Amino acid sequence: MTDMQTNPIIALENLAIGYEKGNALLSGVNLSVGPGEMVALIGRNGTGKSTLLKSMIGLLPMMDGACYMDGAPLHSYDLRKRAQKVSYVSSQVSQLPSISVLELVTLGRMPHTGWMGRLEEQDRSMVTQALEEVQMGSFLNRKLDQLSDGERQRVMIARAFVQNTPLMVLDEPTAFLDIPNKYELIRLLSGFRDGGKSIVYSTHDLETAMMCADKLWVIHRGQILEGAPEDLGISGVFNSLFDTTGITFDEEVRRFKYTESLKGSIELSGEPENALNWTGSALERLGYDVKDGADSRIQVSYSEQGYGWILSHNKHTNSFENIYSLARFLIKEN
Amino acid sequence: MKIQTRSFLIMGLLVLLLVALALLDIRLGSVRITFAEIIHHLRGSEHLSEQQLIILNKFRLPRLATALLAGAALPVCGLQMQTLFRNPLAGPYVLGISSGASFGAALVVLGAGATGIVATWNLAVAAWLGAGMVMLLLLFVSFRIKDVMTILILGIMFSSGLAAVISIMQFFSQAAALKSFVIWSMGSLGNVTGLQLQIMTWAILPLLLLSFLYLKVLNGLMLGEEYAVTMGIRIQRTRIVIFATTSILTGTITAFCGPIGFIGIAVPHMARFLFRQSDHKILLPATMLTGMVVLVLSDIISQMPGTERVLPINAVTSLIGIPVVIWLVIINRKSQSL
Repeated sequence: MTDMQTNPIIALENLAIGYEKGNALLSGVNLSVGPGEMVALIGRNGTGKSTLLKSMIGLLPMMDGACYMDGAPLHSYDLRKRAQKVSYVSSQVSQLPSISVLELVTLGRMPHTGWMGRLEEQDRSMVTQALEEVQMGSFLNRKLDQLSDGERQRVMIARAFVQNTPLMVLDEPTAFLDIPNKYELIRLLSGFRDGGKSIVYSTHDLETAMMCADKLWVIHRGQILEGAPEDLGISGVFNSLFDTTGITFDEEVRRFKYTESLKGSIELSGEPENALNWTGSALERLGYDVKDGADSRIQVSYSEQGYGWILSHNKHTNSFENIYSLARFLIKEN
Repeated sequence: MKIQTRSFLIMGLLVLLLVALALLDIRLGSVRITFAEIIHHLRGSEHLSEQQLIILNKFRLPRLATALLAGAALPVCGLQMQTLFRNPLAGPYVLGISSGASFGAALVVLGAGATGIVATWNLAVAAWLGAGMVMLLLLFVSFRIKDVMTILILGIMFSSGLAAVISIMQFFSQAAALKSFVIWSMGSLGNVTGLQLQIMTWAILPLLLLSFLYLKVLNGLMLGEEYAVTMGIRIQRTRIVIFATTSILTGTITAFCGPIGFIGIAVPHMARFLFRQSDHKILLPATMLTGMVVLVLSDIISQMPGTERVLPINAVTSLIGIPVVIWLVIINRKSQSL
């Protein structure tokens, strides 16, 4: 473990990033990524996630501080050497040319080929392997603009993968993806990490990041915090991450909750279990606290006629056939 | 069929077509020279009369050579511009180079006074200087400005500005001078002979060869400059080399032949459609070859076989280019690679 800390693949020292002189987005940034580590960069829109990622791989100039890649200052690498150390997947998806999947992924071999870009057998097999890996092996001749968001993102990642760099940097790779595609993509990146690569990616999805990342970088109030997801959990940073917006972090279930204002509390009883759970989440969505001994009560039941909900409060009793009508009623009452 | 085999097959067919068109191009004209005579002549035997020889060596072969050079070079510039700016409408003229050449030509022709007669040499030198001036301005700008789209907009502004100045000059010029200038601006492949042709050849061939050194880089640029940098491409240097090549190629051709419209934009699209490839290793030679075929064909059409009249080449290339682009855009959008 100490080995990991002494030889980071990338180390940022007192880095300042931003676009205008004297107006840094982030400054005094000290971070590192060890070999075979997966780091998720978390932060709200406009806090400088993309800027940080671009600055640390040399796409944007640093305002201050230094970046060491594999022990040597970033600027000491020529572009080709740098391209052999770090690959990048942009968050920009517009303006991609309509070239074929195979042509696109092959571009990833550029830093390793000669001036004519001639491909050896090894290059070709790497490309086909990567395409198999991302399950796009049967899409070789498909054009990029004929792919779904998930397929296109996997192809972009395959391109970065064949660049065969110890570090991969990805800017919001899971944006635009549905849940299965999101998990598939994270699984893919975790696989690369298990194969020894270091991965840095930015995301808004704290839940998946907490499931797979070795380390989080959390941008919060102009500061950047570094640590294992659980360390940051203990520090309580998640609770205050979105503190201005009525969103709080529920440590018990480790996810964010929207709790703008509590409208009251309701006791919930009955069966079956799953109907109870769903009713509970509906109440949460509507801003009610589920609590035993509350003045209002909801009794859930199930018979051959279907589910039923009986709400008793203020000495009135109302019954509902589905959660939707229950919810409409509660909203009207308030 | 494997895509590579297909590409070589199409290239072979294009070469055959080019040879056939080239022979036809030499044969056309008021003085009769048969195919057999041309072939014998090209193989070194003496079958031609004095008059035929002069016509062949002083007029028809130089015109063919000019068509081949311009036909290869303008579309290559267009391809490079389309890839660099990632814009299917970019072409050799977007940088304002040809407007610079026109400005130089206008200064000489319209300034020549009532006769409007100017030696081709003066015209070519002036046009070349005009193009060079714009090129220097452009290179200066591209050292300063990071964003390639800004450069594109500036190029278009240079063009429009120079066009405005030229129209003012035209407004105040004498009728005869105005006519010579208008004729120059319609383009001609027939005015380049002797030393001029040599100069043009030496300006164009090395740069066409140079463009082959940038095949890999052009491929890398397809994903945009940001990705290109992360794949090891020195973007500033690449941009300057591409601007300089395009400027010299376009400037030289415009100086000697006048503006030749549309093949710079249309031919790369034709090549993409024919070869169904976006790999510049295929696309660049394909574009050169297609361009030569198209310009030689345009030259044949411009001579209106069977008549004594000759159409301006600029009009012919446009009339060929426009329907092709429209067809590609509307009917065959999927085959477009940009």
